[in-house]
Amino acid sequence: MVETLGNLAAGFSVALSPPILFYAFVGCVIGTLVGVLPGVGPLAGISLLLPATFGLDATRAIVMLAGIYYGAMYGGSTTSILMRIPGEAASVMTCIDGYAMARKGRGGAALSIAAVGSYIAGTVSIVGLMLLAPPLAAFALRFGPPEYTALYVLGLLVLAYMSSGSMLKSLAMAALGLLLGMIGIDQMTGYFRYAYGVVELGDGLGVVPVAVGLFGIAEILATAGQPTPPTVIKPKLRELLPSRQEWREANWPIWRGTVLGFFIGILPGSAHIISSFVSYAVEKRVSRRPEEFGHGAVAGVAGPESANNSATSGAMVPMLALGVPSGPIPAVMLAAIMVHGVAPGPLLIQQQPALFWGFIASMYVGNVMLLILNLPLVGLFVNILRVPYPYLYPAILVFATLGVYAVNNSVVDVWIMLATGVLGWVLRKLDFETAPVVLGVVLAPLLELSLRQSLAMSDGRYGIFVQRPIAATLLAVGAALVLLNLYAVARRSVDWRAKMALAEKGEAP
Amino acid sequence: MRHCFAVLLLLALVAPMASAQEAYPSRPISLVAPFPPGGVADLTARPVAAAMEKVLKNPVGVVNKTGAAGAVGMQYVAASKPDGYTLLLALSSISIIPEADKIFDRPPAFTVDQFAPIALISADPTILVVPADKPWKTAKEFIEDARKRPGQISFSSSGIYGTLHMAMELLSHAAGIKLRHIPTPGAGPALTAILGGHVDALASGPAVVLPHIKSGKLRALAGWGDKRVAALPDVPTFKELGYPDAEFYIWAGVFAPKGTPEPILAKLRETLRTAVAEPDFKAAMDKLETPIAFKQGEEFQKFFDADGKRLAAGVRKVGKVEDKK
Repeated sequence: MVETLGNLAAGFSVALSPPILFYAFVGCVIGTLVGVLPGVGPLAGISLLLPATFGLDATRAIVMLAGIYYGAMYGGSTTSILMRIPGEAASVMTCIDGYAMARKGRGGAALSIAAVGSYIAGTVSIVGLMLLAPPLAAFALRFGPPEYTALYVLGLLVLAYMSSGSMLKSLAMAALGLLLGMIGIDQMTGYFRYAYGVVELGDGLGVVPVAVGLFGIAEILATAGQPTPPTVIKPKLRELLPSRQEWREANWPIWRGTVLGFFIGILPGSAHIISSFVSYAVEKRVSRRPEEFGHGAVAGVAGPESANNSATSGAMVPMLALGVPSGPIPAVMLAAIMVHGVAPGPLLIQQQPALFWGFIASMYVGNVMLLILNLPLVGLFVNILRVPYPYLYPAILVFATLGVYAVNNSVVDVWIMLATGVLGWVLRKLDFETAPVVLGVVLAPLLELSLRQSLAMSDGRYGIFVQRPIAATLLAVGAALVLLNLYAVARRSVDWRAKMALAEKGEAP
Repeated sequence: MRHCFAVLLLLALVAPMASAQEAYPSRPISLVAPFPPGGVADLTARPVAAAMEKVLKNPVGVVNKTGAAGAVGMQYVAASKPDGYTLLLALSSISIIPEADKIFDRPPAFTVDQFAPIALISADPTILVVPADKPWKTAKEFIEDARKRPGQISFSSSGIYGTLHMAMELLSHAAGIKLRHIPTPGAGPALTAILGGHVDALASGPAVVLPHIKSGKLRALAGWGDKRVAALPDVPTFKELGYPDAEFYIWAGVFAPKGTPEPILAKLRETLRTAVAEPDFKAAMDKLETPIAFKQGEEFQKFFDADGKRLAAGVRKVGKVEDKK
């Protein structure tokens, strides 16, 4: 512990030196912008900036790139709350309750809660990163294909509780998402599935075009289709401060999101996206008033926004402690330090103490910067809503198209975005929720690959899922969830979900 | 007004002719890396582009055109104008993808002869690593055990027909063994799988596994190269062990679309030869721990053909997964 504090002090002396401070600031600002722009996510931002870091040294490069990563998590909530367009994919869940809050005139409060939640999650999870990096990284390695399969199955079971209204409808949407996720090269055999000769479809449907299409484009189409345009919400600056009641409702979700996000972040995959889905589901499950979700529940903003921020720190654990990237973003960051002759791997922390501790310290500093940057700027962002729709929406269409194109320089992605946009609009008209579709698209390739890898490992024996303790435990939790639910169904025919659907029917004309 | 149009039309016709007569290069060149930033192709492309820019005194930009294991970017270059302004930085997979397309009876995204090879930049042999707690101390022990238990020893790869998969298949064929294949989505996850003890073996580029060999987590058994890897002088090659067919390199080379005029190709060969000798370029490749293996013209064509033949044979041996049952 004493050693850790000594190291951290040395780290701060690196992080607070003017050049490092400057690059952390640049990273945070770019990250916020990248987060705000729909379509352009942290991966695109970091990839575009990677060449610019070749002239810097390793510490400055990684400090700046990390700033973009967690900065984007702060910025991503803005357009989700104000326009129901996820600034980046991890903010999909924030669209639901964040936008509902904005329509109730609490948009400013939602933005502040997202920023503060992000700050708490960011700062606390760095403590976790600092203290737990080596042991946790070793634990994450024990997650092989069977453990992941169990984890994803558990995730899908949790998903069943996410929806309001008809569970059948939400499961149908999840199934649609899983089917869409089947498009692309079969990773086990090399077959092209549903690609119809389009080489670009070989990689499947990207999460970014699908999310921007289903949420952003669909929202714009829906608004344009209304006979009388909605009155523009003009939030006032004093509405920025959440009420005491809202703070109280945000408190626990922020802490739960922080812990959840960190642990999910350690696991490979698009952790920052998945963590926000899981956090939303958990919040809804533990909430005393689950019927508020979808109609502006504070916890629905606070939980996911904290979780996705915390997941970014979690994702650094295997990267720094083992030199193993847990997803595409840490992979690019690893490449950035490799260019500077720093070999990533289990020896990195010992061999490059200035880099490791300087990096950790810079993340503390960066989170403070982002909070300062974001809170006053929230007022600026709120102004976006004062722009009349006829100007605002075409502009968003342009940004969304540019952003989606920029991720892969791919016109096919733009078509995917437009097609899913129309699909999203039709689904909304038919009263289907679209969030489970996105989760399905994210999970399908992961679940399929890990299931088939597990079976390849065991030579086709399903016993592998119960022989391995971690996998067996996860599946047992899933089974318990199902049994509990069956019990509840048997005990009383009308549970909260049905009550909620009834209430909604009562509201509707 | 009509005159105006006539003049414009004439200009439009003349303009390309004028530019064709200009000295090459007269506008920015793009070097397409068919993989995302951070991968081997991208990390090689960037210093190559920088060094070319210095030699040509003309901007050379790296464009990441990614998707479908590189097929998207390669197809893009194959279909671009052969004017020397769109070049490709390709890896071994350029020979694998068309062959895999053939096996599946699908129209190939591109074929190898749509490209004119310019120069080979680097070629790194893969090495065979196993977790340190596994019993095999030598490649011989590994192969003997695999022979006794066909299909029981597993290995991870960067994906089916990917480079790391092909290396292992060439060895399996040369040694007459059968291993169990666990594909993962890339070289990173393949490494995670072996570090976590979920698979028994991995063929990998040396730079990636070197730190784990040094820290004692992995053990290197043998290499696929013609010569031993400089950083691992004690690790023999499969060739030394009597498996000359187990030869495999992860290489990177620069290509132009077929039909690029010979003077431009000559200029590019010349440029790349000077470029790889630049101290900045050497320093950049040293950092990647990738030895420069420059070959051009005839010599590169010969290497490319031989490597392509080995890989094509390898892909055919793997065949369609279903066919093996």
